[in-house]
Amino acid sequence: MDYDVLIIGAGVSGMESALTLGDMGFKVLLVEKKASIGGNMILLSKVFPTLDCASCISTPKMAATANHPNIKILINTEIESVYSNNGNGFMVNLVRKSTFIDLAKCTGCAQCETTCTVAIADEFNANLIARRAAHIAFPQAVPKKATIDRRGSSPCSYTCPAGVKPHGYVSLVRAGKYDEAFKQHLDDAPLPGCLSRACYAPCEEECTRGYHDGMDGNVSIRSIKRFMVDRYYKNHSEPSYGPPEKLNGKKVAIVGSGPTGLTAAYFLTKSGYSVTIFELKSEPGGIMRWGIPPYRLPKNVLARDIKNITALGVEIRTNFKINSLDSLRQFDTIFVASGSTGGRKLAVHGEDKTGIIDCIDFLYGINSGFPLNIKGKKTVVIGGGNVAIDCARSALRLGAADVHLFCLESREEMPAHKWEIQEAIDEGVSINCHWGVRQIRNDGINVTGVDFIGCSSIFDKDNRFNPKYDETMCTSVETGIIIVAIGLKPNTTIFSEEIALNRNGKILVNTETLQTSLPHVFAGGDAVTGPANIVKSIGQGKRAAFFIDRYLQGRDMNERFDERMPMVDRDEIISHAGDNVSLRKPVISNKITISERLKTFEEFEATMTEEQARYSANLCLDCGGCSQCRQCVSTCPAGAISLDMQPEKQNLSVGSVAIATGFQVFDARNKPSLGFGRFPNVINGMQMDRILAPTRPYNAVVRPSDGKAPSNIAFVLCTGSRDETAGNRLCSRVCCMYSLKQAQLLMGALPLADITIYYIDIRTFGKGYEEFYQQAKGMAVNFVKGKVARIEEIDNQDLLVYYEDIEGKDGSKKSMHDLVVLSVGMLPVSGAAKMFKNSSLLIDESSYIKEIDEDLEPGRTSIDGVFAIGSATAVRDIPDTILHSGAVASQIAAYLQKAKGRSKP
Amino acid sequence: MTKRRLGVFICQCGGNISDFVDTEQLRQSIEKNSLVMVAQVNMFTCSDAGQQNIITEIINKNLDGIVVASCSPKLHLNTFRAVTRRAGLNEYQYVHVNLREQCSWAHTHDKKAATEKGLRLIRAGIAKVSLANSLEKLRVKTLPHALVIGAGVAGLRAALALSDIGVGVHLVEKNHHAGGMVLQWGKMFPNDKKGSYVIKHLLNEIHRRENITLFTNAELLEKTGHIGDFSVKVRLGNNDTISLKVGSIIVATGFDTYIPQSGEYGYGLTGVITLSEYEELLASSMETLQYNGKEIKTVTYIYCVGSRENTKTDKPHLYCSRYCCSATSHAAKCTSEMNPDIRQFHLFRDVRTYGKYEQLYEKARNNGSIFLRFDEKSPPQVKEEKGRLIVRVKDILTGGEEIEIDSDLVVLVTGMVPRENAGLVNILKLPVGKDGFFNEIHTKLRPVETVIDGVFICGTSQGPKNLAESVTSAMAAVSKTGALLLKGYVDLEPFVAKVNADLCTWCGNCAKACPYSAIEQTIFNGKQVAIVSPVLCKGEGACVPTCPKQAIDLEGYTNRQIESMIDALAKEVINEKTDA
Repeated sequence: MDYDVLIIGAGVSGMESALTLGDMGFKVLLVEKKASIGGNMILLSKVFPTLDCASCISTPKMAATANHPNIKILINTEIESVYSNNGNGFMVNLVRKSTFIDLAKCTGCAQCETTCTVAIADEFNANLIARRAAHIAFPQAVPKKATIDRRGSSPCSYTCPAGVKPHGYVSLVRAGKYDEAFKQHLDDAPLPGCLSRACYAPCEEECTRGYHDGMDGNVSIRSIKRFMVDRYYKNHSEPSYGPPEKLNGKKVAIVGSGPTGLTAAYFLTKSGYSVTIFELKSEPGGIMRWGIPPYRLPKNVLARDIKNITALGVEIRTNFKINSLDSLRQFDTIFVASGSTGGRKLAVHGEDKTGIIDCIDFLYGINSGFPLNIKGKKTVVIGGGNVAIDCARSALRLGAADVHLFCLESREEMPAHKWEIQEAIDEGVSINCHWGVRQIRNDGINVTGVDFIGCSSIFDKDNRFNPKYDETMCTSVETGIIIVAIGLKPNTTIFSEEIALNRNGKILVNTETLQTSLPHVFAGGDAVTGPANIVKSIGQGKRAAFFIDRYLQGRDMNERFDERMPMVDRDEIISHAGDNVSLRKPVISNKITISERLKTFEEFEATMTEEQARYSANLCLDCGGCSQCRQCVSTCPAGAISLDMQPEKQNLSVGSVAIATGFQVFDARNKPSLGFGRFPNVINGMQMDRILAPTRPYNAVVRPSDGKAPSNIAFVLCTGSRDETAGNRLCSRVCCMYSLKQAQLLMGALPLADITIYYIDIRTFGKGYEEFYQQAKGMAVNFVKGKVARIEEIDNQDLLVYYEDIEGKDGSKKSMHDLVVLSVGMLPVSGAAKMFKNSSLLIDESSYIKEIDEDLEPGRTSIDGVFAIGSATAVRDIPDTILHSGAVASQIAAYLQKAKGRSKP
Repeated sequence: MTKRRLGVFICQCGGNISDFVDTEQLRQSIEKNSLVMVAQVNMFTCSDAGQQNIITEIINKNLDGIVVASCSPKLHLNTFRAVTRRAGLNEYQYVHVNLREQCSWAHTHDKKAATEKGLRLIRAGIAKVSLANSLEKLRVKTLPHALVIGAGVAGLRAALALSDIGVGVHLVEKNHHAGGMVLQWGKMFPNDKKGSYVIKHLLNEIHRRENITLFTNAELLEKTGHIGDFSVKVRLGNNDTISLKVGSIIVATGFDTYIPQSGEYGYGLTGVITLSEYEELLASSMETLQYNGKEIKTVTYIYCVGSRENTKTDKPHLYCSRYCCSATSHAAKCTSEMNPDIRQFHLFRDVRTYGKYEQLYEKARNNGSIFLRFDEKSPPQVKEEKGRLIVRVKDILTGGEEIEIDSDLVVLVTGMVPRENAGLVNILKLPVGKDGFFNEIHTKLRPVETVIDGVFICGTSQGPKNLAESVTSAMAAVSKTGALLLKGYVDLEPFVAKVNADLCTWCGNCAKACPYSAIEQTIFNGKQVAIVSPVLCKGEGACVPTCPKQAIDLEGYTNRQIESMIDALAKEVINEKTDA
């Protein structure tokens, strides 16, 4: 048996039982799912009826628990399952959640907290103020260890095919840490400049702010990136680093210097490999250099991006044609990233005539400084993808008379990005959908026009590309210039002898490792996937580097690459953020006029100003909690933080189990008429306790909306208790007393304030409680018997309380207050029964754990050897919880003694 | 003696101290003392981090004594002793200064004076620790036996629970039979268990246990000894006495029912009875409810009789008796179950059916009980008129209208009052609270312990409780007993008197002064000298000033220490810039 007893929950009841059992000599395992022991009591200001400081009562218990030789504490731990061994103890499976902190190394110095760029509502302060994602739960936490609050992947970071973490750099920009933002990006991907212009930004599509209709659209992630990149490049014309100090002696050849090849080279070099890139063309960059027109991606930005790679010592041999893989045999590994090449053919009559131009050739002409002269000419572009749009818009910039784009798809089906299509239309491109090419008209030498046929659908029922034409629809255009942009082909034919290709000419690889049919040859990018986009290509290059490294180091190739936490639930984010989200409009960046922009191939959208960028970054909702900006990782003096840390499972045997999982506070939003969550000056009892506590959020008693000291405070008792409409018919026992306590403390803090308590019955039943009530009466707290019906807010955020004055004569009345405290009750915590896999834990009709004989056998449950303590079985105040904890400890001791007796021969 | 190396740790107590005492100024002043190697201010010195910090400082700076200036030692003396021990230092090389209860909280109006007083207190602490000797706790064996006083439901259940964990029990009951109040009750709330059944069940089990002895018609006469090893004398029957040895004592002497004064709400009139009497009536009635041979059709309950008496001047019971609202709601439920046609009126002040008991109140209402709220200042009047009991009450809920209830039975919902127990209080030196019930040390930290080590209290002797709550507190006392006795030993404070035999000439003054008979005569080097029994000595110090030769001193509080503390306290706070 590993432990005599497992206690689940280290609140005041769990600690008290643990201490008593430990003192009796039993070995106790105390498991807490949160980052500190102490439960709810440590959150309180003072405790009734003695008005002891809650910290002063809790901390000695916490310290004694932590230092007890017979008690082992596991924080951040949840119980997955408990199996009963037929009276012979229990098998327990638990999960130690990752908080991304090595607890053995963390010294609780809170350096991480000071560098963290994410602010999150602070549960310890009942969400009244914010804390950092990297934080220590509260000042008296035991053990005092940091926690990184990472709730999952933020949608933007989860989505990025290149593994870039937009949440990270956005939060860094928000914090004014621009260089750090750039470096964080560089750690994840080497071509930030290109991505800041030419990425289609899937992150923005997934952004919670855009996903939710009630808000004003996504965070302008790409524009923020562009700000941070431009700012960095302006100040750093060269990278601040050089080649790695030590190389491992192994050599890698990369075929192709597009985004895939450059990225693989970057990561491999950083890992110590000597990398040589072979590039057919005169300059590196692939599609970024020769394909994308300069108004979308200025070539100086690309050139500076490439320096990020070449600064590491990567050699790029341009104008170098590779004829076979065998010619690269002196390298340990070859990575083929040869990309796409020449366009597909229309396969119609007349296609061989002069005036038909392939899109790649057209764009190459522009990017190499020898553009096609189409000035004043009517131009037709065929195709509905991004390349087609690039061609059409470029044609306008070359002075074409008018540009007509024809495609098979409908507007919605066009593969080009929506905003690109819109900009093309704005610039004057005419978009013609549902048209297929029937034939190219010509005069024998030159084209003279195109005949189109109607296209009724492009995909069949299996969603395969299979266009259906409608012979009844047709049209014709007269033109001398036709740019064909209907798709690209993988540039792989020269390798077909050596490695396996598929029917379409794509290289066959293990899609996980990118290894080809030859073990030492890897391939990625368009050559493998078919035409994609820059950010996906970067992702391929990164993946290749990861597995090439593992291959060359002889390590397990089954390792998972780039494992991300599951994406957070956006609906949940919205509902949590609730009314705290400010609905500010996103920044519209400055663009030059259309007539101006068409005169050149210059960028037409301005980089955001610093103010605009920070404003935009401030719109981020911090969906995943931690942004993975990694500031804490580099700051931690103990090196205790690792964002890759995984949860750990553990199996244990214990003699008995005690459940001390406490209670939850009623969510007052479930009484909408009282305005909690809508009106800032309607707070709940827990928040008032925090405002009054020594570790208080505001350091004074003020109301949340404007920091004014309240002068007329109301308490609404029985909020969420004794109320069937709120789903809780029971009395919560503690609310009368804590409200009386708060009223008295408020009288001390704000001697001039009026305090009114609206009640049904004042239930001060415990030892010294009635006296406490009389004391409050003596301090001139105003007691009104009557239930509050609803609360309204007026202009200055004061509150109008509607109630029935039962003792008065006038019936329903209203009264003005500047702060209202909802004395919320306590509810059971569910989930305990689910832990028990081969035995049944009975729950009572109010969802508390059932005590099978509450009169004589406190804490005994339906399972022999399983006990429940404190508020797990019924709402209890602290004195009664402590007594119950003691009683259950004696039950557990009795059970264990009996078990010991049985096991003796 | 080599120069001491001291550490002083000043706690802000999250503002409790630092709001009124300038802790940083204290630190700067104290730091100048040449013996002080470390002076620090912490927000919560008692927090785990605060404790770790002290340990680190003791080890790194090689400290040989520390002062913690924080809250009352009642809260944290043991905490910081443990810290000192964990750092490898003798725990008596730590001195606690109470900067909160005795300084910041007492002088919230004058920050400057509070700070000055704080400085003096810390100086005294430094003076004390710099003369402190390393001491070892006195370890005494504990007996695995407990004395339980009172064989009501709390005492019986405690005895069984003690027996369960291997502690033998002597169970002493004053009455001729065990069972207490519960024995006479019928169905009890909320689970409808019959009192007599509960007691029978417990007694059967008690009789089966070899390690429980039940003495009825018995009474505690005398207690001597100390925690872990008490000797008690118990009267059995009329004449016999028996001596027992026990490691601890649990007091479960229960409560008394409030008996209304004659005329109080018509008490004394036929048909005006207490809740207990009504419970007995219910328990003994089978199909119809009859009183004095007359069928009952209307019952009126008057709540808070003998409880929450804020307007009464003569020995009022100010407290709420806790159980009565739920018990009455339950009685109403049982009444309706017997005969749904009986009309029931509840004249209440606040209905305190807390927690799950709210369901009883709900059930009573659903069964037709009418609840009328009255103000304490205009209580209901009960009169006999023409052979009928008439209750008049001003009902607040209908705007103070006077309502007349023609009743067959008026039930006075009487509360619990402390039981008269002067003898026991005297023998055990039990602390009694303002309300007359026994007082625990701290409702949250030590809710069943008393200031007398080894003596625990539980059940309704502490205050009003229902069945489940009594049992719960009884078993809490059991677990504290277990924690004390199962180890087999207990460590006592070494603050005992010590005789310097070289100086002593045996005059006997000290032995006469000792109230614990801890000092005896012995022979040392051929002469008569005094010797102290460390187990019996309570460290009270009454002997010390009686010695003409100054041959007797108190460990931990030596004359030299006290004198130097007085000097430190009295020393002027003139120029704290140069002087600490």
